[in-house]
Amino acid sequence: MEEKLNYTNAFEELQEIVTEIEQGEISVDELSAKVKRATTLIKFCKLKLTTTEEDVNSILKELEN
Amino acid sequence: MPEKINDKTIFSLLEVTNSIKKTLEKRYKSAFWIKAEMNKLNHYTQSGHCFPELVEKRDGKIIAQIKSTIWRDDYQNINRNFLRILKEPLKDGIKILFLAKISFDSAFGLSLQIIDIDPQYTLGDLENEKRETIQKLKLEGIYDQNKKLQLAFLPQRIAIISVETSKGFGDFKDVIDKNSWNYKFFYLLFPSILQGDKAVPGIMAQLERIKKVIHHFDAVAIIRGGGGDVGLSCYNNYELAKAIALFPIPVITGIGHVTNETVCEMIAHNNAITPTKLAEFLIQKFHNFSVPIQKAKDKIVDKSKRLLSEENTKLESELKLFRSITVSILNTNENHIKNASYAIQQQSQFIVKNNHEKLNVLQAKTRITTKFNLNQLEAAVIQLQNKLEIQPILYLKNSELALENIEKNIQIMDPINVLKRGFSITYLNGKAVKDVAQLEVGVAINTVLFNGTIDSTIAKIKE
Repeated sequence: MEEKLNYTNAFEELQEIVTEIEQGEISVDELSAKVKRATTLIKFCKLKLTTTEEDVNSILKELEN
Repeated sequence: MPEKINDKTIFSLLEVTNSIKKTLEKRYKSAFWIKAEMNKLNHYTQSGHCFPELVEKRDGKIIAQIKSTIWRDDYQNINRNFLRILKEPLKDGIKILFLAKISFDSAFGLSLQIIDIDPQYTLGDLENEKRETIQKLKLEGIYDQNKKLQLAFLPQRIAIISVETSKGFGDFKDVIDKNSWNYKFFYLLFPSILQGDKAVPGIMAQLERIKKVIHHFDAVAIIRGGGGDVGLSCYNNYELAKAIALFPIPVITGIGHVTNETVCEMIAHNNAITPTKLAEFLIQKFHNFSVPIQKAKDKIVDKSKRLLSEENTKLESELKLFRSITVSILNTNENHIKNASYAIQQQSQFIVKNNHEKLNVLQAKTRITTKFNLNQLEAAVIQLQNKLEIQPILYLKNSELALENIEKNIQIMDPINVLKRGFSITYLNGKAVKDVAQLEVGVAINTVLFNGTIDSTIAKIKE
């Protein structure tokens, strides 16, 4: 299931977890794992908001070619 | 005056041009309104005069052409009017309706001296261009093309077409770089002139460059501002509008407040109007992503806490219930045991009492029976006693009678009587001898007779 996270699917998965929890579909047994996963997703999403991997130099190099 | 040489009247050139000038001035006394296309404005900054090229075209071919002049003062007036009404300066390639006088100069030849240009006519022409651009795009079905593109969920990488030093780009950077939420954007400037006729090829060239590195970007932003609201009719240009409409990623515009929205703004994915608003639009997109995450976080924390507390409550209530049930069961059983023990006590007492009573009854019965039996026995004993008392007497009487009989018999049988009749009895050691085998020779025997005894010793035994 560990497809590569991007912010779209991370966001969607997070919303799913919220919906599940909101609708009381999660048992106490699952709760810990779900909350852990949600924390990872939130961290990932927040990191996405505050970082970017683009590099000006590589773009300029591509433009020259 | 003309010279006469060999019957020929010969004019000097000046005489001819002066004549033409005179004729023309006589014929065209006043100024009149003319419509034409101004191919080139030919404005000379130093002198301030303009020498526009005027043409009339039919099917793309020039069918009329004439030079013209706009003197400095007229140019300044006309240009002011244009800027006021069209938001455009006087420029190349527009259709104009102008007031002109025919002017002929001996040295410079024929030209039209433009005194005034009606900006409304050109405005209508620009409006026509805009309308035509829209129509063409719609006809080709590409008017909505860019709008239909899906803007990235998080439009983080922006290719910017702007001018490095422009106020608009500065405003944009201010908002983006100093956002208080720490949102990180990546943007790269693709510089281009953004107003006037040179904007069209400039922007289009940069769009082509961006296409080469398109995978690095989520959107293109055309940012202008601070340059005044003139020279923006280039954004109604068909070629530029088409390039934007067909661009493979969303194009967002922030080219400043324009009286009338230009075609490029209309067909752009989003028109944020100002560079600041464009930056805010992007930040809003980040908010749209960030706020639900924060909310999700809060919700998860809240719901998890609630879930745990609910489970805890449930558990406690179960525990309470369990406790109360067990206590109640214990109580019930204790009561059962108490009742049972009471019942056993009662029952045993009852049984004991009952048996006691039975015993008493038995005892009484036994006593009575015993008494009765005793009485009976006593009676029997008495009877027996009576009988015994009577019986012996009877028996005695009977015995007496028998005795009397026996006596009589005995008297009859008495050996004396027999002896008297001559019989005797021989005794051995006191016993009557009935068989000679009892006797031995030499033994002493006694012989009783009626009136005495004879002791003898056996001398001989005969059988």
